[in-house]
Amino acid sequence: MMMQTQVLSPEEKKMIHEESIRILEEVGIKFPSERALDILEKGGAVIDREKQVAYLSRQMVDAALKVAPKEITLAARNEAYDFRMPSTFTGYHMDGCGMNMVDLETGERRSSVLQDLADSARVFDEMELGYIYWPPVSPLDVPGQARSIAATATGLINTSKHIQDEMKTAKEIPYVMELLKAVLGDDKLRVGRDIYSVVYCTVSPLCHDTDMLEANLELCKYKVPVVALPMPAAATTGPASLYSNVALSNAETLSVLVMFELTEPGVPIIYASSLGIANPRNGLFQFGMPETIIQLVAIIEMGKYYDLPTTIAGCATDAKGYGGQAMMEKMATNLPLILAKPDTLVGFGMYECSTTLSLSQIIIDHEVARYCKRLCEGMNIAPETDFFEDIKSVGQGGHYLKQKSTRAAVRSKEFYQQELLDKGSYDEWVSMGSRDMNTIARENALQILEAEQKAPLSKDVEKVLKEIVEEASIKLAE
Amino acid sequence: MKELLNKMRVSVLEGEEEDAVALAKQALAEKLDLKTVMDEGFVLGIREAGQLYAEGEYYLPDLVCSADAMKSALAILDEALKKPASGFTSKGKIVMTTVQGDVHDIGKIIVGAMLTAVGYEIYDLGSDVPNVVVLEAIYKIKPDVVGLSALLTTTMVEQKNIIEDLKVAGTRNGVKVIVGGAPVTHEWANKIGADGYSDDAISAVELVNRLLLREGMKA
Repeated sequence: MMMQTQVLSPEEKKMIHEESIRILEEVGIKFPSERALDILEKGGAVIDREKQVAYLSRQMVDAALKVAPKEITLAARNEAYDFRMPSTFTGYHMDGCGMNMVDLETGERRSSVLQDLADSARVFDEMELGYIYWPPVSPLDVPGQARSIAATATGLINTSKHIQDEMKTAKEIPYVMELLKAVLGDDKLRVGRDIYSVVYCTVSPLCHDTDMLEANLELCKYKVPVVALPMPAAATTGPASLYSNVALSNAETLSVLVMFELTEPGVPIIYASSLGIANPRNGLFQFGMPETIIQLVAIIEMGKYYDLPTTIAGCATDAKGYGGQAMMEKMATNLPLILAKPDTLVGFGMYECSTTLSLSQIIIDHEVARYCKRLCEGMNIAPETDFFEDIKSVGQGGHYLKQKSTRAAVRSKEFYQQELLDKGSYDEWVSMGSRDMNTIARENALQILEAEQKAPLSKDVEKVLKEIVEEASIKLAE
Repeated sequence: MKELLNKMRVSVLEGEEEDAVALAKQALAEKLDLKTVMDEGFVLGIREAGQLYAEGEYYLPDLVCSADAMKSALAILDEALKKPASGFTSKGKIVMTTVQGDVHDIGKIIVGAMLTAVGYEIYDLGSDVPNVVVLEAIYKIKPDVVGLSALLTTTMVEQKNIIEDLKVAGTRNGVKVIVGGAPVTHEWANKIGADGYSDDAISAVELVNRLLLREGMKA
């Protein structure tokens, strides 16, 4: 039997869907781009040009759902890390768009720089359940317009896993395509391996951003997978009921689906959300709160309702650094979500509502992820786990340590092999330096950074990538 | 008159925007003394709302409703209040905007509500406002403070650009510039020559009070 979470009944999923359709049909959604509005109008939407609002019909949503791929592979430079969706387990991302870094040497919080991305990619590369590298912080030492390009290149250089990023303006596209071409070693921009995907954020409530919209319309022709990620916060940028906020988020995700499936039928869209609840005292987004977690579980269920590959935000905390609150909220924003079985979860290593990165927290979060995966796998009731003969053989008193099946079982996946948790005696703990989890994780991170990179790009390719970034830094700043 | 003033106070305190507008119109129609209308009516309401927020009784949505009721009443009375004869002065004028290229404005709206609640006059220019429009507004309104919000690492540079433009126009010294938004830091604020930064709305009020050296209600 496997554990699972569920917050919506089949009837309630239908209700949320219907509410979202009503939002799209009656309220509409703002697409501040003439090109987008032309495509939507041609696709059957009623358009208010003055307000730049499109009213999307049920038929448009149904048609988009029909053509959207139900299976997507987020491929990696190293094929061993290809991630196929739907997946039987949850793969993890790094979480993007932070701007602070907990310095590994000093432990102090400072502005993030490009080297932090290189280091985080190296650490992430070693995390077994980490599959998708979304550059977690903005490299503030790189000129503004070239930051995404520099981040993507740094990811490609320092990890052989899938790279995901935001495409903020259409100007970035040629550079990113050059980067991919250099890595894939083929003249074709697209060679059937999607080693790169994008995160597309709506601006809640019910708006798209002009630059990001136009960049992604352009990107559609390459069929790059798109993670559709609204972020409404109940009570500020979303309605103050969990039900309606989930319906709003769902409507925004469906609007992304309609927009891009009309632009390029069959473009891979990953159903997602990073919705939550605002602090009613100061308006700040609250990640580590019960109401956020309940909504995130509901969103996972809606993604599955549509039979779409599903990504969910999680593994997050509002705490400012390592400690009790961080770990409580990290577990709470992992376990219930993992038990609802999203394909992927965003992401490792962040504090402060996903704005501050810590390399040691990447390693701690990976332990949390492994722990949750084990919980998700549940108990195997089968002939091969029926140890009645052992019970009979040991009888009353004694122990099972010498049973052959015991020796095999402790090496099986039924026995969780922890990597960071302290499960020894007190004296043993003292003899090891009385270290806490953060200290051990920090030492592990340092070891990873000191070791040779496992599958580096060739020096020639790395040089080409750096030249592309250099060119982008100059030309896009003009 | 006393009953009418109380209604004005309550309309703002309870965030009843339509009532506040109707009462402001009534004040004009009946040619009431506007200094009394403000000081003993609407201003009392917003002060009480701010006090209730400080005491933990009011939540952000309550405060935003009170601030909007106050702003709407002020908008009705605006022209009459500008005449020196009205005798009314606000704590200070603040122009607020989300910079060009950036459509995220919830943070700025919250800061605006908090500042309104402690008695400042807020001129909210909206979001994705071209720098030239911000500069025109500063020239026209002559605010004590201008607040520039940016949520994206790619748009925060506009905060710097506006400060540079103010310098070029020779008006930098006449206005305090404060900056905010998720990617903004003290370090950035210092680097671009802003007068201040705060990382949430409550400390933004303290910052403005400090900058203008005026005693305000601590939110």
